[in-house]
Amino acid sequence: MPCDRKPMRYGHSEGHTEVCFDESGKFLVTGGNDGDVRIWDGLDDDDPKFITVGEKVYSLALKNGKLVTASSNNTVQIHTFPDGEPDGILTRFTTNATHVAFNGSGSRVAAGSSDFMVKVVEVSDSSQQKTLRGHEAPVLSVTFDPKDDFLASASCDGSVVVWNIEEQSQLIRWPLLQKTNDVSNAPSLCRLAWQPAAFLAVPVETKVHLYERGSWNHVSTLSDDLLTQLVNVVVWSPCGRFLAAGGVGGSLTVWDVSSKLCVERQKHEKGFTVCGLAWSPSGSQLAYTDTEGCLGLLDGLGSSGSSSGTTVHGKAAKDFDDLFDDDDDRPMDEGLSDGHSPGKKPHEDDEDEDDFHVPATGRARNRGAILDDENSLDAGSVTLSRDKYDVADGGAVLPAAAAPAPPLRPAYEGPLPTAPQKAFQPGSTPAHLTHRFMMWNSVGIIRGYNDEEDNAVDVEFHDTAVHHAMHLTNSLGHTMADLSQEAVLLACPGTDELASKLQCLHFSSWDTNKEWMVDLPPGEDVRALCLGRRWAAVATSALMLRLFSIGGVQREMFSLPGNVVSMVTHGEQLLIVYHRAPGFDGDQALGVQLLQVGRRPKQLIHGEPLPLSPRTHLAWLGFSAEGTPCYVDSDGVVRMLNRSLGNTWTPVCNTRETCKSKSDHYWVVGIHENPQQLRCIPCKGSRYPPTLPRPAVAILPFKLPLCQTSTEKGLMEEQYWRSVLFHNHFSFLSSSGYEVDEEQQTRSQKEQQELLMKMFALSCKLEREFRCVELAELMTQNVVTLAVRYAARSRRMALAQRLSELALEKANQMQEEEPEEEEEESEVTGRRHSNRRHQEEEEEEEEPVEDVCVCVLGSGKPSSSPAHRATSILDNMASGRKSSPLAGSVGKPNKGPVLKPLAPRPKTKTQSTLLQMTSLKKKTTREVSQPAAEQQKQPEAPPPAPPPASPADNAENTRPKTGFQLWLEENRKSISADQPDLEETDVIKEAMGRFRTLTAEERLSWTERAKGQTGDDLKKRKRGGGDGGGGDGGGGDGQAEADENSAKKKKSLDPSAKLSAFAFNKN
Amino acid sequence: MDPSEVEFLAEKEMVKIIPNFSLDKIYLIGGDLGPFNPGLPVDVPVWLALNLKQRQKCRIVPPAWMDVEKLEEMRELERKEDTFSPVPSPYYMELTKVLLNHASDNIPKADEIRTLVKDIWDTRIAKLRLSADSFISQLEAHAKLDNLTLMEINTIRAFLLDSLNCMYKLRSNLQPGSSKKQFTDY
Repeated sequence: MPCDRKPMRYGHSEGHTEVCFDESGKFLVTGGNDGDVRIWDGLDDDDPKFITVGEKVYSLALKNGKLVTASSNNTVQIHTFPDGEPDGILTRFTTNATHVAFNGSGSRVAAGSSDFMVKVVEVSDSSQQKTLRGHEAPVLSVTFDPKDDFLASASCDGSVVVWNIEEQSQLIRWPLLQKTNDVSNAPSLCRLAWQPAAFLAVPVETKVHLYERGSWNHVSTLSDDLLTQLVNVVVWSPCGRFLAAGGVGGSLTVWDVSSKLCVERQKHEKGFTVCGLAWSPSGSQLAYTDTEGCLGLLDGLGSSGSSSGTTVHGKAAKDFDDLFDDDDDRPMDEGLSDGHSPGKKPHEDDEDEDDFHVPATGRARNRGAILDDENSLDAGSVTLSRDKYDVADGGAVLPAAAAPAPPLRPAYEGPLPTAPQKAFQPGSTPAHLTHRFMMWNSVGIIRGYNDEEDNAVDVEFHDTAVHHAMHLTNSLGHTMADLSQEAVLLACPGTDELASKLQCLHFSSWDTNKEWMVDLPPGEDVRALCLGRRWAAVATSALMLRLFSIGGVQREMFSLPGNVVSMVTHGEQLLIVYHRAPGFDGDQALGVQLLQVGRRPKQLIHGEPLPLSPRTHLAWLGFSAEGTPCYVDSDGVVRMLNRSLGNTWTPVCNTRETCKSKSDHYWVVGIHENPQQLRCIPCKGSRYPPTLPRPAVAILPFKLPLCQTSTEKGLMEEQYWRSVLFHNHFSFLSSSGYEVDEEQQTRSQKEQQELLMKMFALSCKLEREFRCVELAELMTQNVVTLAVRYAARSRRMALAQRLSELALEKANQMQEEEPEEEEEESEVTGRRHSNRRHQEEEEEEEEPVEDVCVCVLGSGKPSSSPAHRATSILDNMASGRKSSPLAGSVGKPNKGPVLKPLAPRPKTKTQSTLLQMTSLKKKTTREVSQPAAEQQKQPEAPPPAPPPASPADNAENTRPKTGFQLWLEENRKSISADQPDLEETDVIKEAMGRFRTLTAEERLSWTERAKGQTGDDLKKRKRGGGDGGGGDGGGGDGQAEADENSAKKKKSLDPSAKLSAFAFNKN
Repeated sequence: MDPSEVEFLAEKEMVKIIPNFSLDKIYLIGGDLGPFNPGLPVDVPVWLALNLKQRQKCRIVPPAWMDVEKLEEMRELERKEDTFSPVPSPYYMELTKVLLNHASDNIPKADEIRTLVKDIWDTRIAKLRLSADSFISQLEAHAKLDNLTLMEINTIRAFLLDSLNCMYKLRSNLQPGSSKKQFTDY
């Protein structure tokens, strides 16, 4: 019989602790040395209700809503259950009672006391008492016979006595136990237990003796080899088939009585002595308590028990036969018991007589399968009542065979539904506390007091500028509250006479009426409420959601898909969490809706399931200060809505990780995204704070549960994604029309990019180039350029190449997204430039030489605004770098023959010089491009350019940059129209061919158009070129930049300038 | 140094307050303070905390050591040890005094704390006197005392220095070689 041993719970202070179940099996009731009786709603209840009954609880019993306790003031008291109202004193002793027990019907209570007496009292009339005297030492335990005739008791005098209650006389006395002088010194508590049918179980040292009712024979002994220490307490399962025993040293043993086999052995997790045991009414759970005040539970006994019950069914009769064969071997005992019964008969009424016969008949039937009728005939007096008894007895004697068990233990073995969690106000402590927080939110605190002196509500604002503190008498018994900058909303559940009321203190109202009240329709109770901006929402037990304006106008209403669990608002957003379906195995099945209630009402989340950690419930629900929905489950996991990922929920923090002890919790009161703060109150040893001393708010950092956050990589990844997640609200806010702090936004973006760059550098260091590119994909274009430089500087050419491709891609995207931005100065030139740039970027792919020219020309345009300077760097960088490998290897086949002279250039160029170059180029190109643009506008081309057919290399070199390109731009369309299936490369080749076929004059005019006017800024260019050359450090023919510049100059210069150009060339 | 000067120095210590107003960061010579969010604890110097408290703009959160149990432990330790035990704050006496005088409503069990701190103080001053006494009676040239606070040093300084001076004079007069002229100097 496998079972699940649940972890122990601390229940009471150290000392004797008792446990029992209520009849529904829902509540566990424990009593202990601290004088409290705790009512646990299942073992996981963190906040059990408690009733203080005295200084100590020695014993307790629960039946029919009456809780009987033996407390330290020598009385046996009754309290109502579950309310805990005192219901009088049942009886008194001269010293404390040691054990109390109900009879089967709950009409009588037996109590044993340290003053050697046992009393049997009618619950309805405590004056009807029977006192059983005869023990010579304190009574250890008492138990009723299932038919109420007898009572068994164990005492420190070493005897176990069966009493006849009516006659108040001893029926039989077994000297079984060790003698001691007091209960506290007794080695075993010797808690007796009477089977629902026949047997009296008596723990005797390490074994359990079973005595048969009526004959009082010792019919069998249950033992277990592994059971070496004394048995303290025994208890029968509700079906009577199993007997559980708990003992010194924490042993827990369950026997199947029919087979006398031990079916379950468990050990208390700390080895404390088990002093209380109780089966749940369903038989599936066994609760136990120890002498240290802890409560434990074995679960799953019933389900396996029932399955074995069906299999045992067939052989049960045989088992029982064996069992009874056993006592047949002892004719002496039988005779003795037989002798007893007739002896008693004359003194007893009919019922008793009958009862005495029953065990005998039961035995007979077991042996010989004689029918019930015969038994009753045997008894000699057949009455209706007897028949009834017989049937009942037959069923009880043979629990397995007659199968009365199934109704008690359902055969269903699947997952069991969880009790749905009750509705709650986020930021409130449980309603049953006398002093509690009704609301703690970002605006203020509402405290509720409900004790003898006062029933009041205190409202206090964090910011006294909002409103002064308020003290209200709570005559209506409000249990729910919410607080906003505008109003206080209170609600009370309805009673039999009064409807559920909603009260609003609208303190920010400008008229004199600061308060309104609304009665809900009869039968409808407020379950949850919240205050939005200028409106209020109330969810009711009738699955309705009602909206009110803050002034009290009833607004929209709609039905909820399930019972509400909690509800919060922020501005115009309304977040509702409700029960979607019954949860199973400790899980809650919650759904969530997010609505926008304001001017443009719409539903943003349509009742999707709310993800919770396994076996937890919702503990807090709210919005971050910036308006992002968040919630906390009872495991302390904080989750936040990720709007950018399709409204999914991302865990952002686990508050339990920062707790020092297992029983510590953080009680969340608010979440801020900017700065990232989780505001919560640390609670030592509880889930929520007390009102006094006033708790202080602590701030926890967020931490996404990413893998390996102990490593540098994981740490930065976590930081990055957290930053991304926590800045989602910017886009949300701007999309919903709020003002956004742009400075913050840019700062956060900068932070993210810095993190990316760090990760990039780290990956570089780890030789993870692929990862580098992946990271670069997350970067903005500007940062990619930095990454390119970083890669280049650390001599990772392949990486740098890929990155610059990426950078170009990003640049293109940006261009496509915002092409208008660039047209500032002159629309004509601007457009031209951007057009050209597009084309040329495409061309770059195969034409390294043109790349460079792109840089020169293209970069002129963005220089107009400093924001784009970086972009131009990128272009230079990217193209420059790209040209190197392409020209060196792949690029070759594509190259036009004219470009040959430049082929070796990139090889000689080192990356470092390139980097220097780029900065220089930036300068020069900016200087150059501006006039160049002007040139294009001005048709008159003053200085005569040298003939294009000058030194062939130079001519060819320059032409593509200038005249050819202009020409190409104008003629590209016609070329592609002529040969539409041409590749880009081929288009250019073709264009080159065509260009060469032009007449010299035409070519000249093109060149003039492009270059003719550069003479004006010749000086500047010269300087720029010179600098560039210097930067190259005399790289010889590798000085592409210098070459180009000088080449251009040669074209455009008048002969007098040639000398200076020549000077460059030397470089 | 005057005790009020020591107290002035103590007011530079940081203490947590819970403001009930909202204010952005304030930039002072000694450093930036804030931002102040209502209901959220923030560290400020004692002088500011007291100022805000007097204007009912905040609640003061007592320092962690200002707790009956911890102080009781410290008192026991102080009584048990012959030497000075470490104190929770270099300005424990001053802080206790100013905080309890101005914000006793924010400090649970203020009276007990006052008594405990006074007990600790008395024990330490008694030790100090005792050590001064043995220092002098044993004619030591120097002594080392750890874990003394500024306030404690100040209470003994004036007395100890004066008396040492006096004694020096007396002793030098007793020396056979000392001239009468010297004596008349004084």
